[in-house]
Amino acid sequence: MKRPALIAILTDPQLWVPVVVLILGTTLLMTLR
Amino acid sequence: MNEKLSVTIERSTLSLHKLGVFCGLAAAVWLGSAEAPTKLVNSGYSPFILSMGMVMGAFVARWTVPTLLKGTGFLFDDLLDKPHLIVWALLAGMLWAVANTLTIFAVRNVGLAIAFPLWNTNSLVGLFWGWLLFKELRGSGIKGWAKVLGGAFAIVGGAGILALATAQQSSNAPGRAAVGIMAALGAGVLLGTMYIPYRKAYISGMNPLSFVTIFTFGELGTVTLLTAINLGGAGNMVAELHRARPMLFWPFLGGFCWVIGDLFQNFAAKYIGIGRGIPLSNTNQLWGLAWGALVFAELSGLSSTGKLLVFTGSGIMIAGAVAISMAAPLDRELTNWKLAMDRECERYGLNTEQVAAVVAGDDPHAGKPYRRRWWEWLVMCTAVGIFVWLALGTRAQQIYVNMPWMIVLMVATLVPLGVCGTLLYRRTRFS
Repeated sequence: MKRPALIAILTDPQLWVPVVVLILGTTLLMTLR
Repeated sequence: MNEKLSVTIERSTLSLHKLGVFCGLAAAVWLGSAEAPTKLVNSGYSPFILSMGMVMGAFVARWTVPTLLKGTGFLFDDLLDKPHLIVWALLAGMLWAVANTLTIFAVRNVGLAIAFPLWNTNSLVGLFWGWLLFKELRGSGIKGWAKVLGGAFAIVGGAGILALATAQQSSNAPGRAAVGIMAALGAGVLLGTMYIPYRKAYISGMNPLSFVTIFTFGELGTVTLLTAINLGGAGNMVAELHRARPMLFWPFLGGFCWVIGDLFQNFAAKYIGIGRGIPLSNTNQLWGLAWGALVFAELSGLSSTGKLLVFTGSGIMIAGAVAISMAAPLDRELTNWKLAMDRECERYGLNTEQVAAVVAGDDPHAGKPYRRRWWEWLVMCTAVGIFVWLALGTRAQQIYVNMPWMIVLMVATLVPLGVCGTLLYRRTRFS
């Protein structure tokens, strides 16, 4: 059964790996400036 | 015309592993050559502006050659089939932008010799994510593991030796070494994580041309924001860009090479996965080195120990690439790849048969004739026009260039483009 796209995206645990890494990386960048 | 060609030129039966290996190696050539034009820029410009020039060039270049290969009709169909991947491609572009800015800080604080090997570990990070999230290398056996992991470590090790031998810069701010190391490691993690969206897109049946298109939007948007922040505001950024106008063609040309290289890297990630494809394309350092040494005579003052290190590092890197090239996935591993694909189809309601066909290089959309729209030509002409306009306003740079070697390397860069492009067309119709 086709899930509503947004819910499928947001509940995909794989999404949170790059999102968390991006947040941490941006925080690191802003700290190092 | 394409339809006629597809009738007359039979599909080749080249294995997808071999095709992926060729793409990975072609990616290395073009990603390495992307460094060459930026070497023509005399110092005196902010590294943020150089980086931004290259990203702007990549963004514009996407609308030249790639648009010729597949029109926007194909692009829209592909994106509408899997709209959820737009988020992933944007995310990948943003990761690249943050990672690239971190590398600037890393080089500034600890020098290239230390920074480069640290962020080059991105292929090992990618290999880990490929194993964990997409079942790559599972079921490949000890031999397969040894070839891929050994090859990846050899490429990182070779890169370290080359960086050590060739880097001219060293830290002039020792107190900030920890900051530089953290920045380099951070860049490695970010770049390695960027390959998650790559693989995700390809086991969902997306075309690399579509992925790279959305990627460049995420990349340009984030780089613009970060450059503006780092230069103290949008006004300063525009002023710096204006000042850099006489040299902007060179980073733009680098961006053009980068797009071609990135497309090949994406095709490699599609057909052999990120565990194998990324280490192969990371041999780009060899090509960057060839340009630096042969064309710009950067190694002319190198000691005999330095030369020995260059040969050793290059040899180790080539051995690593050969090992990975020979590590074709076994059936057991391919079964695991399919399980990863099934997961995507299930979660996002994709047509499993259609996705399986695309993953196998047989995209049903690829053979479909698309009518070219008038505005596609307008976009293409504008993109080419920007390059021409920048080239016309370029001031000659006072840098030594060995012309015969430059011609040799240009030919050596164009040959893989022709060969690999033909292989991709004949086997997959660029799908």
